[in-house]
Amino acid sequence: MRAIIGYGNELRGEDAFGLDVIKELQKLSLKDTKLISAHQLTPEMVLELQEADEIIFIDTCLDEKNPYALACSLSRHSGLNLSHHISPKTIIYMLKSLYARLPDFYIYSMMSNSFERITDNRRYKERVSMTAEHIISVDRQ
Amino acid sequence: MKKIIIDPVTRIEGHAKITIDLDKSGKVEDAKIHVTQYRGFEKFCEGRLYTEMPALTARTCGICPVSHVVASTKAIDEILGITPPQAGVNIRKIVNLAQLLQSHTLNFFHLSSPDFVYGFDAPKEDRNIFKMMQTHPQMAKDGINLRAFGQKIIQDLAGKRIHPTGIIPGGVEHKIEAPQKEAILEQIPEMLKIAQSALEFFRANMHKFQEEIDSFAAFPSLFMSLTNEEGTLEHYDGKLCFMDSEGKILQDNIEPRDYKDFIGEAVEEDSYLKSPYYKPLGYPEGMYRVGALARLNIAKTCGTPLADEELKKFKALNDAKPVLNSFYYHYARLIEMIYSIEKIEELLKSDETMSDNVKTNSKITKTKGVGCSEAPRGTLFHEYHVTKDGVITAVNLIIATGNNNLAMNAGVKQVAQKFIDAKNITDGALNRVEAVIRCFDPCLSCSTHALGIVSSKIEVRDHNKKVIQVIDRN
Repeated sequence: MRAIIGYGNELRGEDAFGLDVIKELQKLSLKDTKLISAHQLTPEMVLELQEADEIIFIDTCLDEKNPYALACSLSRHSGLNLSHHISPKTIIYMLKSLYARLPDFYIYSMMSNSFERITDNRRYKERVSMTAEHIISVDRQ
Repeated sequence: MKKIIIDPVTRIEGHAKITIDLDKSGKVEDAKIHVTQYRGFEKFCEGRLYTEMPALTARTCGICPVSHVVASTKAIDEILGITPPQAGVNIRKIVNLAQLLQSHTLNFFHLSSPDFVYGFDAPKEDRNIFKMMQTHPQMAKDGINLRAFGQKIIQDLAGKRIHPTGIIPGGVEHKIEAPQKEAILEQIPEMLKIAQSALEFFRANMHKFQEEIDSFAAFPSLFMSLTNEEGTLEHYDGKLCFMDSEGKILQDNIEPRDYKDFIGEAVEEDSYLKSPYYKPLGYPEGMYRVGALARLNIAKTCGTPLADEELKKFKALNDAKPVLNSFYYHYARLIEMIYSIEKIEELLKSDETMSDNVKTNSKITKTKGVGCSEAPRGTLFHEYHVTKDGVITAVNLIIATGNNNLAMNAGVKQVAQKFIDAKNITDGALNRVEAVIRCFDPCLSCSTHALGIVSSKIEVRDHNKKVIQVIDRN
């Protein structure tokens, strides 16, 4: 099973990127895929991910220099942390150490120079579509 | 005079630093916690419509948004002059208790348990939940399961796990459906077992921490919480009560809307966190504590069987007088976890809770409303003033953590004086200074409305405020 998690704050402009990608994907019927929308990643989320062989995290990254760039920015999320919200790496660590699961995982991020609003609606929607299409194309393969 | 700065404090929710001032002989002269961020909810809510307040104020916090929604909707209930139907009230209570449970679970299993398992002097790289996952995986899993249980209840009954929208002025949006009720009830035995097991673990290990029990904010103070006519543990209804350190009731039966007659708000120039105090005793003599320790000190019983058995043992810690050691906040939270699960079961099994009638409505009848509830960290106040058209003109919030500000500061000083030796500042000593704050489980993001960012750096400064040592605590 593949899990795709889009997370962010829908009230904070481009921070909702992950959530909007999930909305796009919900219009399709992806095989053997669980779609999850979340405000933030939380420890108990691992219970929903125990059966996943592959996990895709989709979020927004603050980057003033490269707005709307799409990237797999693992290094930005590489810290282990555990509070009321956690990082993708912490989720993977928890799955491995507590449930003996080691799924493949990817982080798709859109860079944004502001979480206050969607500064360029056309480019934002384009990036949402591109990311969804990329996931679908991988699904077809 | 030397100054030691712990900045930021780790394994708490939010951002703070601690300064420890040493005298010339190297002894601790003073110590303080400084909350260093500000978001200003009280000001930017002005001019908004009162209907927006539950959603706006829920954003104060990602851990206890339910508490803010409950206090906010209660304030609006008062403005509208309405009493929600009993089913609406009961569902609010269930969601509030579910949040209490998941919040206490996070503190015990994920933030504080490494200290209890490995000790305060263990290598700092071991004192974290990730080490716990390696050496005590079942305990880590228990924490995940218990938190998931609480979060699922919030999601199912109030719409969303974080910033739920189902609690509304006049009651709640939706009734409980029978399958939802059965799904929750089915998990109760397992969740009770986990909570009881955690309490057993804590009790079995308490003897290892007598030095910390005796010095972690262990002093006389007042206590405040909501209480009801029966004197049972209360998190939603009731009136305010102040008790002194001998167990004498100083003032009770205080209507929450009259809180300002009894609570003053002082401001320290070096912190954004308010310093509330009991007005009749003045500032800072009117220091009081809130939260699980205060609630259990003031409650005569919990009102549920398993929690009541535990409360008897808790009250025996100080021969039925108030328990003054803040280390026992952990103990009190564990009892409240058991209580929450039992109470959720009791409320779910009540026919009243399952009624279709969960909300009512009205128009503005008053221009002021005060909502009060017991959040995980203590008593929470929301006060709103509105025009007759419903525009917010003034807001005052006293957040649970803020009530404990004076006590947390006194606790930091007490621990620093006990454990800090300027000639040999050990990591264990610094950890204890942070750990006394964790006893209160402060939510600093919440109480100052600040966005929490935790890195880990300690600066040691001399009497000229020159940094003479930097310690990375990450």
